[in-house]
Amino acid sequence: MVNAPKVDPELVASVLDKTETGPVIDEKDWDRGYINQTIRDLVEKYDITWDKNFYGVLADDALADRVFAAGFELAERSGLYCVDTNRRMVWTADELNQVINNAPTVVTAGEGKDQVTFKKRAVEENSRVGVIGGPYGIPFPEDLFVPVVTSYANEPLLDIVDLPSLQTTYGYSIRAESPWDQLAVWQEAGLTFEALERAGRPGMPIGCANSAASHLGELTTTSYGGFRQLDWHHNSIMSELKVSYADLIRAVHYVHTGSVSHNFYNTIFGGYVGGGDGMAVPIVAGMILLRASLWGESVNPGPSHAHLSCNTFPAMIPSQTVALQALARNTNLITSGFLRPVSGPCVKELFYEIAALVIAQVPSGISFTKAVHTATGRFPMHCTPLEARFAAQVTHAAEGLTRSEADPIVRKLVDKYKDNLNTANAGKPFTEAYDLDSLSPTNEWQGMYEEVCQEFELDFGLML
Amino acid sequence: MRTRGRLLDVLDKAETGPIVEEQEWDVEYIQKPIARLVKEYDVSWDKDLFVPSDDDLADRVFAAGLELARESGVYCTSTKRRMIWSQAELDEVIATSPSQVTLGEGEDATTIRARRPEENSKVTVCGGAYGIPVPEDQFVPIMLSYAQEPLLDFIDNASLVSTYGRPIRAASPWEAVGCWQEVDLSMEVVRRAGRPGMAIGCAENSPTEIGELSSTSYGGFRPSDWHHAALVSELKTNYEQLTKVVHFARTGSHIHTFANNIFGGYPGGADGMAVALVASLIMLQATYFGCTVNPGPTHAILSCDTYPDMIPGIAVALQGLNRNTNLMTTAFARTAGGPGTKTILYEAAALALAAVPSGIALMEGVQAAVGIETAHCTGLEARFLAQVTHAAEQLSREEANRIVQSLTQKYADDQKTKPVGKPFDQLYDVQKVKPLPEWQNLYVEVCQEFEQEYGLNL
Amino acid sequence: MSNWESKQTEFTESILAGNEQAAVALARTSLEEGATPVEFFENCISPSLQDIGKRFETLDIFLPEMVTAADTVEKVNEDVINPAVAESQAGESMSLGKVLLATVQGDLHDIGKNMVGLMLKVNGFEVVDLGTNVPPADIVARAEQEQVDIIGMSALLTTCLPYMKDVCDFLEGKNIRDKYPVIIGGAATHPEIAEEMGANTHGGSAAEGVEKCKMLLGKL
Repeated sequence: MVNAPKVDPELVASVLDKTETGPVIDEKDWDRGYINQTIRDLVEKYDITWDKNFYGVLADDALADRVFAAGFELAERSGLYCVDTNRRMVWTADELNQVINNAPTVVTAGEGKDQVTFKKRAVEENSRVGVIGGPYGIPFPEDLFVPVVTSYANEPLLDIVDLPSLQTTYGYSIRAESPWDQLAVWQEAGLTFEALERAGRPGMPIGCANSAASHLGELTTTSYGGFRQLDWHHNSIMSELKVSYADLIRAVHYVHTGSVSHNFYNTIFGGYVGGGDGMAVPIVAGMILLRASLWGESVNPGPSHAHLSCNTFPAMIPSQTVALQALARNTNLITSGFLRPVSGPCVKELFYEIAALVIAQVPSGISFTKAVHTATGRFPMHCTPLEARFAAQVTHAAEGLTRSEADPIVRKLVDKYKDNLNTANAGKPFTEAYDLDSLSPTNEWQGMYEEVCQEFELDFGLML
Repeated sequence: MRTRGRLLDVLDKAETGPIVEEQEWDVEYIQKPIARLVKEYDVSWDKDLFVPSDDDLADRVFAAGLELARESGVYCTSTKRRMIWSQAELDEVIATSPSQVTLGEGEDATTIRARRPEENSKVTVCGGAYGIPVPEDQFVPIMLSYAQEPLLDFIDNASLVSTYGRPIRAASPWEAVGCWQEVDLSMEVVRRAGRPGMAIGCAENSPTEIGELSSTSYGGFRPSDWHHAALVSELKTNYEQLTKVVHFARTGSHIHTFANNIFGGYPGGADGMAVALVASLIMLQATYFGCTVNPGPTHAILSCDTYPDMIPGIAVALQGLNRNTNLMTTAFARTAGGPGTKTILYEAAALALAAVPSGIALMEGVQAAVGIETAHCTGLEARFLAQVTHAAEQLSREEANRIVQSLTQKYADDQKTKPVGKPFDQLYDVQKVKPLPEWQNLYVEVCQEFEQEYGLNL
Repeated sequence: MSNWESKQTEFTESILAGNEQAAVALARTSLEEGATPVEFFENCISPSLQDIGKRFETLDIFLPEMVTAADTVEKVNEDVINPAVAESQAGESMSLGKVLLATVQGDLHDIGKNMVGLMLKVNGFEVVDLGTNVPPADIVARAEQEQVDIIGMSALLTTCLPYMKDVCDFLEGKNIRDKYPVIIGGAATHPEIAEEMGANTHGGSAAEGVEKCKMLLGKL
């Protein structure tokens, strides 16, 4: 009747203690001293550098290991900043070593025939990479929620479905930290189960919850009649390396309910971490500290460009590859790649952005791809399952590639979109890119997709 | 489906009702209308009366309370709005309220049924520490002292003084940790008592909604347990309480609701309190649609609800409700006296004897020493409460009145000195979970007193 | 004062490097040579900051450098410009206006809002930053208290949008809606939402936010 908690309650308490016993510091000092200055020092100390004009896949193991060492040192020297208590949470090197060594190397989600397992991968390991597809919190009206989720769940290459956010609940505005928040996530759960039934994949794991701003949404729906323990429960820390009570409360909830938890941290390229070299360091630190503080089974760095919000910006790509390689070579963490392109549906560049990042990340040792935060997730209804399908196809095609093989492909792909990034073409919404009756792409969108698939075969020899 | 529809209606009221300042609410929507209604409906009784048996008076109190509910509604402090119900809506609330509920699972399940005044039928009893703070290492023996009592149909939990040695900081992760520890410990209690399916009143370590939301989930408290939501005095709700209700409603969990009107506060004395109490219980049902409803009025100074002058107010309000609705009303013994004193037993008995013939469905208690003294609670006073409750099932209000009158004389003076008694480990053998002779003898003495003086065989 | 161009280049370099001493000295010397505080602001501080803002927009520099520059300029203002203005009794304000900024209730994200705040500062606005998770009633009360010229609100999360609308409603309810132009921004917002909730305008990026604020105050 009673679950054994996923983590020993004494260990949980000892981590929560850090929010109350760590040194009190001003947030400004955190941003400047513990993030910016420390990262600068570490970039210099560990000689983290590559050609600034390079935007492909780094394949230097020694560099990857130095990035790991720098990230580990950042985790140890700075730790996390708790915004509710204004304290630094500090871990010793021993504690962090335990975290990375004891992290699970396999995660199973979903039920019955729809169950999936993701495993930790090594750099250039030729093994299956999982794929999660969904609108990832992109707002949708209530009446389109079931069609859009069904259309993603219909894609056989997607292992897990992630969800959109509801724009309203029963016609009402959704207010953060209010009972409306609760009502919305329960509606989200009900509609999702309906969509999975329609897709014939009732046991498919669900990335949840997405319609509530506050932690209360996750607390209420991860319960009887709501999202299941084997669904894919989100939790995160904030930029840069900041954690809130809300994040820790979610973590405690998942630990005690025995729920699978996926954790992420979006570092800001161009922010306090600096450029590509600096960004690689907090990505490593962040993934280690996510596991140390939130105890999820898998982690994700989804860096954001300070202005464009995407992570497909050329200078960000090598940084992501080297950080992922660093983690894959030196920890047991199950890492993942998130696709946050600038372009939207019915824009050809969307495929290029997706493919460039996937081909850079898969040989760098990720265990699964998260697809796709289309048009950086900022435009209601601007996403379709077709780009998620495409991401899955490219993911599997890249499984056998080495970094050296991936590198020229990535660079060619970046060349195809880099000049258009600043125009941020969000394309068309789901309702114009898909036929709502058949839940299939319009001719325009399907044609564009087929064209790109052929291009991949001809230009790169990749059969999608 | 009906619940979800009603839920939306209720939440909508919190967003669309007229905006008023809280101070205005207290004076214009509580104090003044209650004073007017007391006069208009002639809510008064003989000062020597403890359990009035005037049906007409009870009906007038009910009518006054219903009018207050309709005219004032509920105040949502989160949105600063009055939530308003029409008479037709209130009529529907009353007409559709459940009159029976089964809590717990399997052979440990218990059923509560609505009763009428002077109905000779079983009253369910819930015994427990009701949020009294207890040290972590004493939670299990203390709660076991209740769970092992066969006369207690289910239990209500204690609060933890700390969780894993750390203070439970409200609205922080510690709250969730504390509630999950409460889950683990209370499941151990019911298992050790051999009553694993017994319902548990929970969660008692959730100063905000966070603990409740987290621990009413997989591996935690069960839908068949007895989950709490409350109106804040007077007739106020907030997003926290409404959030809990959404959670309970959507997880299919049983909801117990309560309101603590303040005797000596904005409602005034016992007459005004009776009106507020009727309104509160109707509005609990209208706002939270739970199963059981409890008025646990609080003396403004002593914090108890056994103060002699309060008893007729509680009795007449319960009669008003139980004559005119199907609500499963309850009474809650919050005594000034603590364990190890005779006072606590007299106080608890007086309230039970007033409430049972007034038609309550469930007796709750004892929140000893008004619930604030660490570990001042034992299963023995709850056993005694259950015995008196069952003995009172066949009494008329008039018969009960005589006994209550006598009992109040026994404790009225002591009550003011706040005799908090002794903590659990000085009254019970903690290992064996048995009362020590001192406490056992006092209990036996009072039982004999009840037999000799009142003819009640406990 | 003919050599503003070289002074400005030197000033830009000093503030980017956080060299307070050099920046303060340069301002002091300029004033000693006869420039008025307003002339120094218009010919040196303002173009330097605008230049830095543009460089951040293209990520030629990163956020910390912009923060350092803004802090250094504050020091220059504190040590040299403000006392000189007070002394000259000129009464000329060098601020383009006072902007209240807040991430609304329910949202703890502040990176975007902080970037807007910095860009406003480097463009000559005074900024009153209320931080994150700010209830609507507090935003309105502080706007009144601080007598700001613009209310700016940010939200990353769509479920925080109703609280932005509350601010517009509260202003309306208090009959002070016309007193405070409202600008919204953040990932959850777009121009249509601004219009729906009754805000005056929307800023899609930090740079656009600054332009819109200027527009709201007729400074463009």
